[in-house]
Amino acid sequence: MNQENKEYRSVKIGLEIHCQLTCLQSKLFCSCFCNYHGLEPNRNICPICCGHPGTLPLLNKAAVEAACMVSLALDCKVPDNITFYRKNYFYQDLPKNFQLTQYNAYGITSIGVDGRLDYGEKMSRIRRIQLEEDPGRLVYESGGVDFSSSYTLIDYNRAGISLVEIVTEPDFTDPKDVRIFLNKITSIIEHLGVCNTKRQGSVRCDANISTQGGKRVEIKNVGSFKEVEKALNYEIARQKTMSMHDIKVLAETRDWDDARKVTKQSRAKEEEQDYRYFPEPDLPTIALDEEYVSSIRMKMPELPYERKNRFTANYELSEHIAQVLIDNKELADFFESTVKIYSSPKEIANWMVTEILRYTEEDIMEPKINSSSISTQSSSSFAGLKIEAKHVAELAELIDKNIINRNTAKIILTQIIKTGEMPSQVLARTDVLKIEDKVIISDAVESVFKTENSAVRDAKNNPNVANFLLGKVMKITKGRADPKITLNLIKIKLDGLN
Amino acid sequence: MSKLYERSANEINAGIRGGEFTAEEYIHQILERIDKVNPKVNAVICTDRKGALEKARLVDKKIREDEKIGPLAGIAVGIKDNICTRDLKTTCASKMLQEYIPPYDATVVRRLKDDDAIIIGKLNLDEFAMGSSTEFSSFGPTINPWNTDYVAGGSSGGSAASVAASECPVSLGSDTGGSIRCPASFCSVVGLKPTYGHVSRFGLIPYANSLEQIGPIGKTVSDVVMIMKTIAGADDKDQTVQVTYRTPDYTLSSNEKMRIGLVRELTEGAEPEISKQIYSAMDLFTNLDCKCEEVSMDYVEYALSSYYTIALAEASSNLSRYDNIRYGFNFAPDGYEWNAYFAKIRSNFGDEVKRRIIVGTYVLSSAYYGKYYLKAQKIRTMLKQELRSLFKKYDILIAPTMPILPFKFGEKIDDPIKMFMIDIDTVIANLAGVPAITVPAGFSNDLPIGLQMIAGEFQEQKLFNAALLFESKTNIDRNPEL
Amino acid sequence: MDSRETIKYLCSLSKLEITEEELVKYELQIEGIIKYLDKLDSITLSDIEPISQERNSYQLREDNAKSSRTDLLEYTINKEGRFIKGARIT
Repeated sequence: MNQENKEYRSVKIGLEIHCQLTCLQSKLFCSCFCNYHGLEPNRNICPICCGHPGTLPLLNKAAVEAACMVSLALDCKVPDNITFYRKNYFYQDLPKNFQLTQYNAYGITSIGVDGRLDYGEKMSRIRRIQLEEDPGRLVYESGGVDFSSSYTLIDYNRAGISLVEIVTEPDFTDPKDVRIFLNKITSIIEHLGVCNTKRQGSVRCDANISTQGGKRVEIKNVGSFKEVEKALNYEIARQKTMSMHDIKVLAETRDWDDARKVTKQSRAKEEEQDYRYFPEPDLPTIALDEEYVSSIRMKMPELPYERKNRFTANYELSEHIAQVLIDNKELADFFESTVKIYSSPKEIANWMVTEILRYTEEDIMEPKINSSSISTQSSSSFAGLKIEAKHVAELAELIDKNIINRNTAKIILTQIIKTGEMPSQVLARTDVLKIEDKVIISDAVESVFKTENSAVRDAKNNPNVANFLLGKVMKITKGRADPKITLNLIKIKLDGLN
Repeated sequence: MSKLYERSANEINAGIRGGEFTAEEYIHQILERIDKVNPKVNAVICTDRKGALEKARLVDKKIREDEKIGPLAGIAVGIKDNICTRDLKTTCASKMLQEYIPPYDATVVRRLKDDDAIIIGKLNLDEFAMGSSTEFSSFGPTINPWNTDYVAGGSSGGSAASVAASECPVSLGSDTGGSIRCPASFCSVVGLKPTYGHVSRFGLIPYANSLEQIGPIGKTVSDVVMIMKTIAGADDKDQTVQVTYRTPDYTLSSNEKMRIGLVRELTEGAEPEISKQIYSAMDLFTNLDCKCEEVSMDYVEYALSSYYTIALAEASSNLSRYDNIRYGFNFAPDGYEWNAYFAKIRSNFGDEVKRRIIVGTYVLSSAYYGKYYLKAQKIRTMLKQELRSLFKKYDILIAPTMPILPFKFGEKIDDPIKMFMIDIDTVIANLAGVPAITVPAGFSNDLPIGLQMIAGEFQEQKLFNAALLFESKTNIDRNPEL
Repeated sequence: MDSRETIKYLCSLSKLEITEEELVKYELQIEGIIKYLDKLDSITLSDIEPISQERNSYQLREDNAKSSRTDLLEYTINKEGRFIKGARIT
């Protein structure tokens, strides 16, 4: 597929990423709850977010701060003033039949413009970042019954939730780059703490794609970032096929059909619309002065690349290991909490990357987005596991002090994850101590030598016998025998026999 | 005690506090008065008998038990029916909201209730406040209490006529381009449009959000001041309110030697009888040692086109939400495709509203945004600046409230431009966001003439000073025979 | 301007259904209104900034959440269970 893409030089892809500001308590323009998951339909609504006559939008101070932070993190300029605009169109998920958003055609009024994000060797320009409200949710079937041919059901719990929309320039030419970029944005957003990207529906990405200088197709309804890459590849192929048959590509919106893995004409056909943008009269222009922007900059949590630099410099971790940690903020946080308790960064980082990572969910780096059902999926990678920083810290300490070896530690870890006991407790309980007592090991060696007669006789000709016998000793001592001492004793004994 | 309905709000409050009569007694008389005269005037479209009597009894109980009572205790107040009253139907005189019962009180209503005023009912208006004669109401027109062949003005026709007809001593209206001042002038009562951002708009069902304010109407300036003190002030439910104080501190002094400017273009542009009245008002002030001069305003000629561009644009968007989905009337969507359903529902708007939505949509379309909306907003900047420099030299400006006398029913409803033109004197205050008041100034052919006074932003006290002075030196009839 | 077509387009944009009669009645009136608004063309104001109100970021609403006292669904007429009912999409 990649080779075909390389032939297809004139692919232009731009992204529109919508990110819910899940860090907030309330909605963008009213005091309804920001976290509505698990609530019955229409339990999280009020006259404001439902567009009752006479209600007025009340802009959330913290939303502006969070959006400003995202702008700064993506290297955007924050203008002196921001304004909200009405985007006028009718739809049943839109309580006022206009959306409060931001618009720059008549002057820069959105929370961020002209930014950039480097990813690997490449870079994408950020055209703008804007604050806007989420619409409600339309439902076409329920309990296995599809009523979409008669009516639609509507739930406004989500209506009015704060969204930050990140719009890139059409700087992408390869869907693979898009995926890398999206992962990087996710990492930044997580590190800022403005959005829990693992929560259902919190991040959505639409893509605009044109090929060979043709019309722009917008792809919506993509369920995860992995799917974005697939959808783009499909669309490139589709457009190429059309051009081969001399069929013109239409400018349109297409939905990604996750099941059939194709793009299809959008269910909601949006005609070329005149949105009649004008500034929202019920909200004044908000002045953001130098002082304000500096204070936001100071409040900003450490960004991923800053943290990675700190990991490689202060903890002397390798680039690779540092990157793996950074790519999953929870893992990086876990790492640092552990190191605070017992300072053995390299050892602990190793454990994070080799053992702990394995125990978390399969797709921790790919946030699941935009599924049609509300599930009670937990938002943490470590949900259900009883492992904490203190456990890993103690394990590292035990290894450092040679009380246990790494194999033993792995065994202990499986226990801890289930029971939450401290490693020392597991040790005391199951007698998993390393055996260094030469007498005990000698006994074990003796018994192995007795049972493995033929191997012992082969020892003269076969240098591998020693390792084989070592293995047997490890087996009967349940891995507890110190390998070095054991091998030594075996060799001495073999020498003695010859 | 009889004819309590003839007393001013101040007098009612004093009478109830002083034990002269009870609130319940008073409200009974008000209700009787409404029953008697409303069929002639059609100002009140919904009387809340139960609620009003309940509140009256509560006020009486508080007085009996020596509890603290609010500054408006016992006063009957009518509310224009585009202002939300919780659990009391609020229709905007439109079929679209014919069954709408708000789940909340507008801030101004809550403040009136907290100060122990008694909400007597909802008052007639042009549909969605769009009009200048209250002829565009789905409840039928409101009739001028001074002459039943003539309109009461609009869009707050019910608010002004109910006060003139003594159905309530004070009422609340809303003023987008003159909708308080026009009917107040036509009905010979006092009406105030406050500074933009002085009174919370939370609960005012909007026509044009950047232009309108809720304001009081009464027979006397001091009644208007009394209500203004309660309703004005900071509100965290409206982010366009620009004051930080909760209750303004107005005095009722009228000793000022004021500097007064008479706006030439507006005065000369009015009917001769009206111009005459305004010039004699100027003479009156001169004789009271005020410094009076004629002034000229350059941007007046663009005011109407600027106003109607902005108002219609905002209105077209404000009215988009009416699709009968989240609230409305009984008409199920089953079987309809959504575009068709929306269009069907929205055919319930009246002609004037539909016209305004269509024109508003036109001026907002991206191709014309710069030509109309943006240009109109720039005119506002010019007007605001022009007024600011005038108010450095003058305390108030005076002009006619209306360029014409009240007109007969049907005279202007078929010609929108003709109707628009009568707003020429009033829109300037809305565009610039400054306060303006109308006081009765005289009659011509038994039809009322109003004198308009305009002041700088948040200078309502200056308006009150001048209005009180004028009122005390003239004795214009405010009580039509009914 | 082709009034009829323009008005029909504007009606579809604003989801208004008007009858042929209404179209005939409104056509001249709307043309007249727009012609009157064209008076704005008679003045040039290129360097002027349009009016706007300003507010500082600290005068905005604090991020506190609370439940609504009333169940708004009681004010909705068309509903099914906890959902609000709308018309079909296609």
